[in-house]
Amino acid sequence: MNPVRWVLCSFVAAYCAYAQTAGGQTSQTQSNDPFAGVAPAATPQDSNGEPAHSWLGNFFSDNFGFRGELMSLFDSDLDGSGASRQSIGFEALKKFSSETSTIASFDFQARLVRRDGYNPIPSDMEGAGNPGWSFEVHNLYLDLYNVFNPLMGDGARRKQIGRFNVRIGHFYVPFGLNLQTDTHATLLQLSNGDNFGFDEDWVAGFWGAINKHLHYDVYYLAGSGHDLKFKGQKGLVAARISLSNRYTSQYGLEGGLSVIGGDRLASAAGAAPMTGALAPLRTERIGIDGRYRHTAPNGSLAFTTELSGGRDAFDPVVMELHQAEYLRSSRRWGIGSQFRRFYRDGGGTTASATAEFTWYFRNDVAGSNLHWIKLNIERQLESVGVPPHTILTLQYYLYR
Amino acid sequence: MIRVLSLLFLWLAVATQSAFAAIGCTLTNPAEDLKYLYPEMTTYKEQLESFPKLKDGAAAFQGLRARLGSDLDPIYETYETPYTIYTIFKGTVKIGVVHGVNVPGKGGVIQVFVAADPNSGDIVNFFFQRLESPAARQLRSKEFRAQFTGLTLGDFYKHDYYAAADPGARGDKLAAIKPPALDAAGKPDYEAALRGLRKNLILLDYFVYGRRFEPYFERAHQALTKAKE
Repeated sequence: MNPVRWVLCSFVAAYCAYAQTAGGQTSQTQSNDPFAGVAPAATPQDSNGEPAHSWLGNFFSDNFGFRGELMSLFDSDLDGSGASRQSIGFEALKKFSSETSTIASFDFQARLVRRDGYNPIPSDMEGAGNPGWSFEVHNLYLDLYNVFNPLMGDGARRKQIGRFNVRIGHFYVPFGLNLQTDTHATLLQLSNGDNFGFDEDWVAGFWGAINKHLHYDVYYLAGSGHDLKFKGQKGLVAARISLSNRYTSQYGLEGGLSVIGGDRLASAAGAAPMTGALAPLRTERIGIDGRYRHTAPNGSLAFTTELSGGRDAFDPVVMELHQAEYLRSSRRWGIGSQFRRFYRDGGGTTASATAEFTWYFRNDVAGSNLHWIKLNIERQLESVGVPPHTILTLQYYLYR
Repeated sequence: MIRVLSLLFLWLAVATQSAFAAIGCTLTNPAEDLKYLYPEMTTYKEQLESFPKLKDGAAAFQGLRARLGSDLDPIYETYETPYTIYTIFKGTVKIGVVHGVNVPGKGGVIQVFVAADPNSGDIVNFFFQRLESPAARQLRSKEFRAQFTGLTLGDFYKHDYYAAADPGARGDKLAAIKPPALDAAGKPDYEAALRGLRKNLILLDYFVYGRRFEPYFERAHQALTKAKE
């Protein structure tokens, strides 16, 4: 045989033998692989519930959230002066969308409150002027997202997304950390209550991302606190620059710089609580704030600070708040402590130190399912007009 | 007034039974985060979902444990827990789906977000919004997270079979993932992060993809049962 032909024949024979073996192995592997031939379902199941047919049905089933709320609170100073606050409330949230975009959301949170007696605790500043039954609005606002989208093409939308959003309604005063901290039901409050006499107001303004590092808020505020009323005040203008979400996510860090100025309604004493005759008060503040969250053995620690200064009319004011919290990783219990001090030249100083223990039955991370008992003790270190007291508070709270 | 209060209490009791949750594991700043994931996006749409809204939601929730392969956490994983799905658009074309879940870690909460292909369900990206863990730096590393790109829920279900009956099988894509270098303190959070990723994909399959990966779960279950016999 020709040597070349012999080599070629040998090669072909060897290849055929290999191919047969390899093919055999492949088919054997396929037959042993239980997932051979398995593919994603071609016809996905319709997993949504029965569609609502009416406009009203759609409204309450599509992107609609509803929560009920129950709170029972008792507090007393060491002289036996007791007070009770019982409330029942709700929160409703609705988002509105087009085919390709969420364009607005509406939030309404309110409660019916019954108060008997009153002690001036930070979580109930508005209680001083509302004995007995009252209906309180906490959140009542409309957010409009990317409001200039209708005026822009796709290229501009891509660049400006998240930058120009509008909020109008009743919400936290955009000063300090309160915009990003839900203190609706907590006993430990941030500094705006002491600083302005209210921590929520009627607002209208813009918010959004400046860039990947910074976020902005610019608002006009009525300056009247929880109830919308105009008694000669011009209102306030507030601006805040804060760190974007990536700092919270990656470093556990929140922080910002806030300024506010204009007229607000205030009691004769100028400071909280807002009771008696209210009159316009020229107000200026600048503040810096920060919160740092870090893992700790079997849990996490959070340190919060708010510092601000400015003037009420011609009187210099200084506010400081420092807070430390520990939350067990099981989220079953937590402890917290806080020091707060408000000084106004000519108006005296209020200061207190607080310690708190919380037992959580439910403590959903997103705050959408909460159930707790809190025991809080506040030692007033300085006060205006009355001797400093020690106030003990027991709170039961359910939100689901 | 007592009558009014009694009625309100009754209304609250009834309302909370059927209430649909207000919020879930949401992006703190969705526009910014979604733009980072999809630079070409022009708009996004949020959709609130929950098991009570699903057809046979109670049964689906019962099935979650089996698909997850571990017990549900009574705080993080309740029947009423709300979920927010973000759908990303470029013009009118759907280019992505993003969804986040909370899972308990050793040091606290771990928030795992997945960006997925809207058609195939493949993982396009996954990241941690909140990660209270001694292993945070390692788990956040791009190299570690990039290994999951292209995987689907089907790969997780297949892994259940391969890990138990055929370790080292070539079809086990999950076994090929190289875990980051972690000490003993960080390992529970690595496991929790994987569990969060799997839970996220299962929920996406329920809420977005119409359970298209169910055949993989069923086959893995059947094959494992057969292998045990």
